[in-house]
Amino acid sequence: MQWMTLFQKELLENWRNKKWIWVPLVIILLSVMDPLTTYYLPQIIDSVGGMPEGAVFEIPEMEPAQVIMMSLSQLSSLGVLVVVLVLMGTIAGERKSGVSELVLVKPVSYMNYISAKWVSYLLLVWVSLFLGLLVSWYYINILFGTLTIGEFLTVFFFYGMWLTLVVSLTIFYNTVFKSAGLVAFFTILTIMVMSIITQIFQHVLDWSPNNLSSYILESLSSGEISSELFATAGVTLILSILLIFLSGLIFKRKEMAV
Amino acid sequence: MALLTVENLTKKYGSKTVVDHISFDFGHHKCIALIGPNGAGKTTTLRTLAGLLKPTEGSIQFESQAKNQDLREWIGYLPQYPSFHSWMTGKEFLIYSGKLAKLSKVEANKRAAELLKEIGISEDAQNERISRYSGGMKQRLGIAQAIIHKPKLLILDEPVASLDPIGRREVLVLMEKLKQEMTILFSTHILNDAEEVSDELLLLNHGKLIESGSLIELRKKYQTTVIELQVEDEVQPYQEKIRALNGVSNTKVERDTLLITTTDMNQARENILSMATKENWKITTFSINKASLEDMFMRVVNN
Repeated sequence: MQWMTLFQKELLENWRNKKWIWVPLVIILLSVMDPLTTYYLPQIIDSVGGMPEGAVFEIPEMEPAQVIMMSLSQLSSLGVLVVVLVLMGTIAGERKSGVSELVLVKPVSYMNYISAKWVSYLLLVWVSLFLGLLVSWYYINILFGTLTIGEFLTVFFFYGMWLTLVVSLTIFYNTVFKSAGLVAFFTILTIMVMSIITQIFQHVLDWSPNNLSSYILESLSSGEISSELFATAGVTLILSILLIFLSGLIFKRKEMAV
Repeated sequence: MALLTVENLTKKYGSKTVVDHISFDFGHHKCIALIGPNGAGKTTTLRTLAGLLKPTEGSIQFESQAKNQDLREWIGYLPQYPSFHSWMTGKEFLIYSGKLAKLSKVEANKRAAELLKEIGISEDAQNERISRYSGGMKQRLGIAQAIIHKPKLLILDEPVASLDPIGRREVLVLMEKLKQEMTILFSTHILNDAEEVSDELLLLNHGKLIESGSLIELRKKYQTTVIELQVEDEVQPYQEKIRALNGVSNTKVERDTLLITTTDMNQARENILSMATKENWKITTFSINKASLEDMFMRVVNN
């Protein structure tokens, strides 16, 4: 009951501040940008004056699987940034403005407060991702060749896991810092450090969340979902849930409201 | 049995002690003013009582509070500078607060409608975003959200400090009314307000509780023993005569007023008045200074 109240509040807030409009739009844009520019590259080059006489420029044939990975790579850089920006003030901002003082002086369970935010933002991010990849998928099928619905769902589901971790990480740092800027900085720093560690210790960190994209590509080319992909997704999900629990604990320990 | 018993409440930030072993208790339907100069630890005390801060030491015990029970259900709290979800309407915010305080949807709606009427926010304004509200409306909305779940203890931090005289009056009247239903603990540095609505006073300075008691008790304790006398003509000639009277300890002329310090107020008054009648003094003012809260405050704080 109380959880639903908090959850509805988040949904309403993100509706009123238009996050439910611009986040999906940005994600759609990021997802289709690379597939479209790749396909229309010859025309784009022509329209800006063409290649110099005698230059030979061969545009490689792209497989549909490679093209959707281009969407993912955009989402992994700019998409993640958007998610972090959207979430960076969700608790930190409320603490800074002082609303949290009014909310948390009511008998609100801290776990409810955090998990309602978590679920509402996951919903926003997953819906945006779904729409983005759906549009990308549509163009890939028209322009590059068939990608089955199974493949589409594989990409959507497992990549969604990665964004789930990003959401959880941002919420976690929201409970640590009061400044939205610091929250964003540390979230991105953590993601970068994770990626470096994954590369250095590649031989032991098979299931690092940073490997999700490469396993997704692997499964698209092999046509079956590998056990590594499942395991990595599992690790990612567990990490996310742990982060949320940890956030709840920090909230209980710390004097969060002021 | 006291509604709330606070024992040795202490709050430290590092080595700095903001609230220093304060103890007090109070009963139902009382209005208690927490007064003290800026930086005395009033806000910290209130926040700790509201459960927003954890005490470093000491205990806060509600009457009939079970072990580990969430105190917040019984407390309504309005911070000094309340901020709301300004994208919500006033009505939405109240319903939201009510539901958070575990009212059912129906109850929350009903209470919100009741309270909006009580605090005088018009039908139109109810459905406007809070970002458009005036300071006074926000303050009243703040009180409404604090009492939506009918708490036993309402904590108000400087409820009238930021309001104009009209807003101030409205809030004081509202507090007077709320006193029938719950205990109110409020902080203020405006002593007139404390004098006007409170039954009991807690005086805080440098984190320590330096004085407490009912207004009448404190008045008696800090009663000054000064008589002010003014006459139609010069007051100077009377000074010597009065000083010679029994019960008078000292006299002093301050512009057109003779200030008479007494050892025994009743005796001094009697003697002065009978002499005045006998000699037909043309008295314009004869007053015995009631100790104002301000005098008391200054004396206690400066000691």
